[in-house]
Amino acid sequence: MPLRKPWTVWDDSVSSKSIPGAMGVYELADEHQQLLYIGKAGGRSPFGIRGELFRHFSTSERLAAENWTHPRMGEDLPAIAGRARYFRYEVNHQYYSRWIELLTRHNEDYGTLPPANLQDPEQPPRLGRYHWKSEGL
Amino acid sequence: MDFQLSEEQQLIIQTVRRFIRDEIRPLEADLDPDAYELPEAEYERLVAMTREMGLYQMEVPVEFGGPGVDIVTRTLVAEELSQHRAGLYDAAYGVFGDSPPAQLYACTPAQREKYLDPFLRGERHAFFGLSEPSGGSDPARAIQTRGVRDGDDWVINGGKLWTSHADTSDFGVLYVRTDPTKGRQGITAFIVDTDTPGFQVARLVQVLRAHYTTELTFTDMRVPHENILGEEGGGFALANDQLARNRIPYAAACTGIAVWSNELAVDWAKQRVTFGEPLANRQAIQWMLVDNEIDIRSGRWAALQAADLSQRGEPFRFESSMAKLLCTEGAGRVIDRCMQIFGGLGMSKDLPLERFYREVRIRRIGEGPSEVQRIVMARDILNVRSGS
Repeated sequence: MPLRKPWTVWDDSVSSKSIPGAMGVYELADEHQQLLYIGKAGGRSPFGIRGELFRHFSTSERLAAENWTHPRMGEDLPAIAGRARYFRYEVNHQYYSRWIELLTRHNEDYGTLPPANLQDPEQPPRLGRYHWKSEGL
Repeated sequence: MDFQLSEEQQLIIQTVRRFIRDEIRPLEADLDPDAYELPEAEYERLVAMTREMGLYQMEVPVEFGGPGVDIVTRTLVAEELSQHRAGLYDAAYGVFGDSPPAQLYACTPAQREKYLDPFLRGERHAFFGLSEPSGGSDPARAIQTRGVRDGDDWVINGGKLWTSHADTSDFGVLYVRTDPTKGRQGITAFIVDTDTPGFQVARLVQVLRAHYTTELTFTDMRVPHENILGEEGGGFALANDQLARNRIPYAAACTGIAVWSNELAVDWAKQRVTFGEPLANRQAIQWMLVDNEIDIRSGRWAALQAADLSQRGEPFRFESSMAKLLCTEGAGRVIDRCMQIFGGLGMSKDLPLERFYREVRIRRIGEGPSEVQRIVMARDILNVRSGS
């Protein structure tokens, strides 16, 4: 099942306290709400979903203002950098299989992974097939 | 009974043990704690090593081109192979080679050429579809997926649940009711290509562990008669024999993660100091470690006895059920105690224990829940046979 939550725009009203530090999955989209990336905040993610979203959207300066640093700041993928505008997430302890499920659904519906996932050094395991596409495609 | 391992068995065990410790565990430091596959380059490198060692696809019989390692040795190896973070369900990340659904060895020469041999060459992947929403422990009654003969084909309608790897497979072995008047003799096994029209993965079913299983639906799916595996109506016997045999290495893998968890806990108990004393000096901890050893050894010997009986061609169903029950439940207790010994660290993803804890819980259900194992054993004790 795909993420169905509405997109949230990333702006200055988003604070680190409003995003959970838990494990889970998240999606990033451009200004037209076209999906760019399906990510996970896994067991080795230093600040969970909060950390992953801030490293994609924010700056080292803003993190420093909150007495915070993230080891992967500035490592964004070309398809994300400067393009990501919206996000949504799901807290999920089974983040790894949920991440694969979301990628599998996207791959089945569109015949490819989201653009930034194609550039991601961490590639998922071999994805399966549903043998059907989502409604409305 | 001879409890001494042969020189060959000792050599294989030492080789596998070294491989897990020197090659697999170090790689896991850089993987996601819930990962179940290696990066492709590492996978290929390690497969080359296991081929060189002569231990690739060790379960495959000699007549099908494998080394044909006996079931006692495979039981010993299963205990070694699982001793890493992903080891319970993805032993050595598959670098010792995948095994096909064991029922495939009952294939015809044409089926072998089309399905089994490509599987063994790693070109095609397969799944095993038995359980349905109506149940899995009593397939003789629970299978409702229906096959109706139509000329040279069978038209199959229904669905399966808890079918692992169906989404990534090229074909599978499906159990279908082909004669509703004949009970267990009315069930037939079919080989089904996953690109057959009418075959759908309805959803991925998320579970307690890092992997998922699938729900399948079949709608007017036409399967050729020649894709029957074994005899028409012989599916139940085909499944039942292999299920009993599979329970033995399945059980031994649980002992493997218990062994490694206990080793970690023993080391920790010796070095962790509380209130001026190492944990190892506390009787409460000592008793936990002793109870761990009792669970580990009772499971290990039960699995080896079942394997030994199977290898000698003697009845082993009671023993394989007992091994499955002792190993899965015992490993759960061992891991729980080890987490208690580690305290907060035992809950964290820094250690493999939390993953083992989630995964081993599933093992009390998979391959027949503990209660069904007790039913199997009770039938033997009371000399009663289940209805058909």
